[in-house]
Amino acid sequence: MSSIWWLLALHLALAAAAPVVARSQGSRVMLFCALAPAATLVWTIVAAVSGGADADAITGVGWVPELGLELTLRVDAFALLWTGIISGVGVAVFVYSASYFEGDPDVGAFATRLTAFAGAMLGIVVADNLLLLYVFWELTSVTSYLLIGTKDKAPEAVAAARRAFVVTAAGGLAMLAGFVAIGVQTSTFSLSALVDNPPSGTTATIAAIAILLGAFTKSAQFPFHGWLPGAMAAPTPASAYLHSATMVKAGVYLIARFAPIFVVAVPVWRPTVLTVGLFTMVFGGWVALRQNDLKILLAYGTVSQLGFLVVLFGVGVPSVTLAAVVMLVAHALFKSSLFLVIGVIDQHAGTRDLRTLTGLARSLRVTCVAAVLAAASMMGLPPLLGFVGKEKALEGFIDTSDGWSSTVLVAVVAGSILTVAYSARFLQGGFGGGDPDPVSRVSRRVRTMGLVAAVGSVAGLLGGLLAAPLRDIFVPAAASLEPSVAGSKVKLWAGFNEALLLSAIATVGGLVVFASTDRLGRLQRQLNVPVSWTTVYDGAVSRLYTVAERTTATVQNGSLPVYLGVIAATTLGVPAGILLVDVALPADAVAAESMLQVAACLLVAGTAIMAAVSGRRFVAALAIGGVGYGVALLFVIQGATDLALTQFLIETLSVVALVLVLRHLPEQFPAVPWKLGRVLQGAVAAVVGVSVVVLTLTAGSSRSTPSASNYYLDRALPDGGGKNVVNVILTDFRALDTLGEIAVLVIAALGVTSLLLVLPGGVPARRLRTGDSILLTRLANAVVPIALVFSAFLLFAGHNAPGGGFVGGLVAGAALTLEYARGGRGALERIVPFDPRLLLGGGLAIAALTGVAGLLGGGEFLESSKLEVDVPVLGTMKATSALPFDVGVFMVVVGLVVTVLARLGSASEPSRATYTERDGNEEPSVVGSPS
Amino acid sequence: MNVLAQADTLPISEPEIWWFALSPLLTLVGGALLLMVVGALTPQWPRGLYAFVSAMIGGAAGVLAIFNWDDISDNGPATLVGGALAFDTFAMWSTIVISGAVVLVSMLADEYIRDTPNDGPEIYALLLVAAAGGIVMASANDLIVLFLGLETLSLAFYVLAASNRRSDASAESGLKYFLLGGFASAFFLYGIALVYGATGSTNIGEMVTSLANRGDSGNDVLALAGIALLLVGLGFKIAAAPFHVWTPDVYQGAPTPITAFMASAGKAAAFGALIRVLISGLPSFRDDWQPIIWVLAVASLVVGSFLAVVQRNVKRMLAYSSVSHAGFILVGVEAAAHTAGEADGGMGISSVQLYLLLYSVIVIGSFGVVALVAREADADLSVFDGLAKRKPLLAGAFTIFLLAQAGVPFTTGFIAKFGVIQAGVDAESYGLAIIAMVTAVIAAFVYLRIMVAMWQKDVEDDAPAITVPVSAAIAIGFAAVFTLVAGLYPSLLIDWSDAITLVR
Repeated sequence: MSSIWWLLALHLALAAAAPVVARSQGSRVMLFCALAPAATLVWTIVAAVSGGADADAITGVGWVPELGLELTLRVDAFALLWTGIISGVGVAVFVYSASYFEGDPDVGAFATRLTAFAGAMLGIVVADNLLLLYVFWELTSVTSYLLIGTKDKAPEAVAAARRAFVVTAAGGLAMLAGFVAIGVQTSTFSLSALVDNPPSGTTATIAAIAILLGAFTKSAQFPFHGWLPGAMAAPTPASAYLHSATMVKAGVYLIARFAPIFVVAVPVWRPTVLTVGLFTMVFGGWVALRQNDLKILLAYGTVSQLGFLVVLFGVGVPSVTLAAVVMLVAHALFKSSLFLVIGVIDQHAGTRDLRTLTGLARSLRVTCVAAVLAAASMMGLPPLLGFVGKEKALEGFIDTSDGWSSTVLVAVVAGSILTVAYSARFLQGGFGGGDPDPVSRVSRRVRTMGLVAAVGSVAGLLGGLLAAPLRDIFVPAAASLEPSVAGSKVKLWAGFNEALLLSAIATVGGLVVFASTDRLGRLQRQLNVPVSWTTVYDGAVSRLYTVAERTTATVQNGSLPVYLGVIAATTLGVPAGILLVDVALPADAVAAESMLQVAACLLVAGTAIMAAVSGRRFVAALAIGGVGYGVALLFVIQGATDLALTQFLIETLSVVALVLVLRHLPEQFPAVPWKLGRVLQGAVAAVVGVSVVVLTLTAGSSRSTPSASNYYLDRALPDGGGKNVVNVILTDFRALDTLGEIAVLVIAALGVTSLLLVLPGGVPARRLRTGDSILLTRLANAVVPIALVFSAFLLFAGHNAPGGGFVGGLVAGAALTLEYARGGRGALERIVPFDPRLLLGGGLAIAALTGVAGLLGGGEFLESSKLEVDVPVLGTMKATSALPFDVGVFMVVVGLVVTVLARLGSASEPSRATYTERDGNEEPSVVGSPS
Repeated sequence: MNVLAQADTLPISEPEIWWFALSPLLTLVGGALLLMVVGALTPQWPRGLYAFVSAMIGGAAGVLAIFNWDDISDNGPATLVGGALAFDTFAMWSTIVISGAVVLVSMLADEYIRDTPNDGPEIYALLLVAAAGGIVMASANDLIVLFLGLETLSLAFYVLAASNRRSDASAESGLKYFLLGGFASAFFLYGIALVYGATGSTNIGEMVTSLANRGDSGNDVLALAGIALLLVGLGFKIAAAPFHVWTPDVYQGAPTPITAFMASAGKAAAFGALIRVLISGLPSFRDDWQPIIWVLAVASLVVGSFLAVVQRNVKRMLAYSSVSHAGFILVGVEAAAHTAGEADGGMGISSVQLYLLLYSVIVIGSFGVVALVAREADADLSVFDGLAKRKPLLAGAFTIFLLAQAGVPFTTGFIAKFGVIQAGVDAESYGLAIIAMVTAVIAAFVYLRIMVAMWQKDVEDDAPAITVPVSAAIAIGFAAVFTLVAGLYPSLLIDWSDAITLVR
């Protein structure tokens, strides 16, 4: 365990303890929490002084080794520089906060968040494992979300916090994707291992872009910069910490670490970094010039400076990297100082508007000196540290004689001109103005804060003056990124050279620009694009809401037809696409063999259309029956009498069942309110139909093995003892299947019974007018007995001729339906004067027993046996064991029909109690029938 | 003369049945029958006993699966019952996930259905039957067997969704699920028929052999159309966009513990089936179905996260988020597709199974909290206002689940998402991995909204009291602790999931 773990743990512990301490100590809790950065600072100094011997040590503990996630830390000189910056600025900000939050009841929560944030930031810079780095990275996103939205109730702060979180967290996820890509390619997640063994190729390019996305969002680079000015809603100490030394710097840190890895391997790295960084530098400076809120001005200034740092670290030129390290420290010092100055001004004057501030130079003297020093460092004036960094950077670019370096120089000078101009605007706005300060008394609190603010400025001054001795800090830090800079020097005064000339140009130019700010203001207003980042972001979010709402309203409206339409349309979109590419219709396809076929098809098509367009449920139900009849007709034409017979009967019974159900529903279909909807429904239906036809034809033409039917045709008589192949299959070859099916049928019938038993009142059923139609009575009287006898014939003849138990049962069922239509339930009860469940159970039992008989006869379950008996007069009677099986099927089918009729036929009809459940809720029955 | 008896013409040898390998399945089926029969013949059992027995049966099935897992690790995978079922670590993993879901959901359901007309053995029996169906789906080595499992699961789900007889929404949910599910099943069956036409077999092993030997001459239209239709059926079951349309309505209407079961066991079963069909059965066509998986994944990610944002009802939000999770899991499937049929199958399948396990616990916990908070009321977001002040522990648990769903580090959600992303990147599906990442941010909006409501809003005065029964508290507590502990120390689970293989 390295000592750095203890520092991280200390942050966590103090963060956890902060609310408790705040309860008794108020804002002094910030001093308590300052122990964490202070300890880190001491540790950093000790580590730096004791020499870098063990500073490079990597300490690793496996956490989730399967994912490559290891708790590996690495504290090299560069990391040490960072811990120094983070903790040094941290101490200042924490001490400052103790005064800033005096009397604020929410200081406990703030202390927790800020301390946790400091710990997470510390984690980022010491993590060697990329996944660990990611974890800390997202922790800073979360804690900064809480810091920005710290005034929980202010809606604008919450919105700004959310924007910051979404942008940075999204970037973080992109970065994670990049890390994973690297890890997969190089099979290591260790930063230090990557330096020795950089990835290359497409994977590396994608990873580099993803990592840059993470860095750019975090460092507020164009076009992701917009969250940063919004984040100024945070309390000023948080802004000072987040936007000088931490948070936004994390992106810079990431670029610094990855530039040596990617700058050669990934050709797009340098152009991307340069373009984005330089543009952001100029853009940020330009926008900062027209701000009137000091804090927002500084925020855009930060955006600009971050662009500069991104360029310096990202360009991957060793001498520039050294400059970047100096600039990094300088920026942390002057920017934290300036933000803290704003806090002083804000607390003293109650405003940050540079148009109303006046006379502060006299009333806040210390603060003013601090601001001037810091701003001078930001402008890059000697003898401050900012000057050292900028000179070094310009020198580095001048020495690089690549094609791009002159362009970079021009852009950097342009950015510097703007920097000088907005720095001057900051000073003039904050401390200028001849009128006396309206607030006469400077409180002790504000004085303390001013002193703390000055610390960074003075450090910047000392840093500049002591630049040469401080090389022992800067050069090793840069060398741990670019080993070749190890022997370089850092000097305050490098003599009169081109870099100094450029600096002079920038300074003079900047002052000229500042002097002509008013004229520039007009130009800016003309150039100003009337869209801001916030409006674009908020517009995108609200667009997201609208689109989502609209989509859910149309697609997810709870309508089954719509759902089904979506599924069907997608289903067919996919296979139809495949089929259109590679469709193969049978070569010998014939449109139609006879006019009869055409007529049947027309019947089908006509009734189908009728069913679709009809507004009345009854008509639609009848039309669907018509479709079935048409199909049955086609079966007849093709010679499949058995099939046709079954189809006819099934259709008839279905229509009857439908009609019985429809009595419970309104007569008309509900109107479709959406006209376009009907058209769409029609279109989807048409596409579905056509696709199924094409699919069927294709399937028919794709046969590669001989048809299975030949086998059955050959074996039906010898093995099954019957000439009707369909029936033989049902009762013999696949008898087990049939047994299963009738079992299901029985269960379904019982299910119908019990379900309809609990049917709630709902729409009262329209009564069928039974028993008053003479025509129907005559017809039924004539047909029903004949049909019943015929059904018996079908049952017994079925094994050799068309028919069988199933068809027979359906015919009997149809006869019973007719009888029901004539006389209602009473009439039905006279023919079947017992509980129809007896039919269901009995039929199933008989069928099963037949099978058992086969078993007892020494064969298999359901194996058929033949019996031949010479009967006088009639001749030889042949019977197989398929017959009783068929009888069972017959009984089940009849039982089902009677059950359905009895149940659907509504409780309000007169009947005996035969079909009434014990626990039924039907009306008292009437003995006898009205007919 | 029965076909089975035609020993001279069609030699059929009786399949050898390896009873112990089937024991998890038999335990669930036997348990369901036991509950039904004994429950019907005896008077009302004491409080909680039905749920306890159900949880015990689920637990027993899970333990048996662990024994079988050891057996497979020692002796290698095999097929059972004449090649109908696969006996491999993949099947056992799914069995463990589904059995675990039975245990947790039984504990949630106990108090939920107390004093309703459903306070009997039926709900639990249906849960067990559905679980058995799900296990068959994930273990099937034959398309017909897979379909049997699918229907067993689905029919039980239809009834369970409609089981709250006091609620119209529940009835509507069941009916919608039934009708749409019927269509999906029909598509699936049609697909089986076409694939059978193309390959001459429904057995997955034989399909692979037949397709590998098919040469160039064959017309693939039949097989391709069949695959497309199979994908519709499976897409419906995994609730991948655009076949997800039923999900919000059904998840919202169904009794909340049932929703939890659908989102956990239902997804695990359906993804198991998807992988059996595509990765095991149809690797020869992987270039054809892989783009479809890609599209389904993107559509699910986008639809699931974007549409969740505007929901007001927490159950609907979680329903949409389950769609986006399906998208994430599909990222893993897509990764596995790159190496389907090869000896080194990559990490796709392991990542998918790990995701399913971790997500199941998270989602059961989430719906468990919703079941308690929005017991009677509609689960409108406002019901959750100020939950942190009323029930801090419950709000804390829910926060853990929501963070996990968002994929925040230190929770299992992160491990799950990381696994599939890693698999995707390993298979060089960069685009998909990045889309998944981006949509995860949008999805985070939703979780953020619920958390803000719980922690920052004030309690409504007339809010009904929330009681937390012991069994539900144990289930939710376990889920929360698991989500955190396994999020911190996932090594063991990852090691186990790496051992997942499919029988070949």
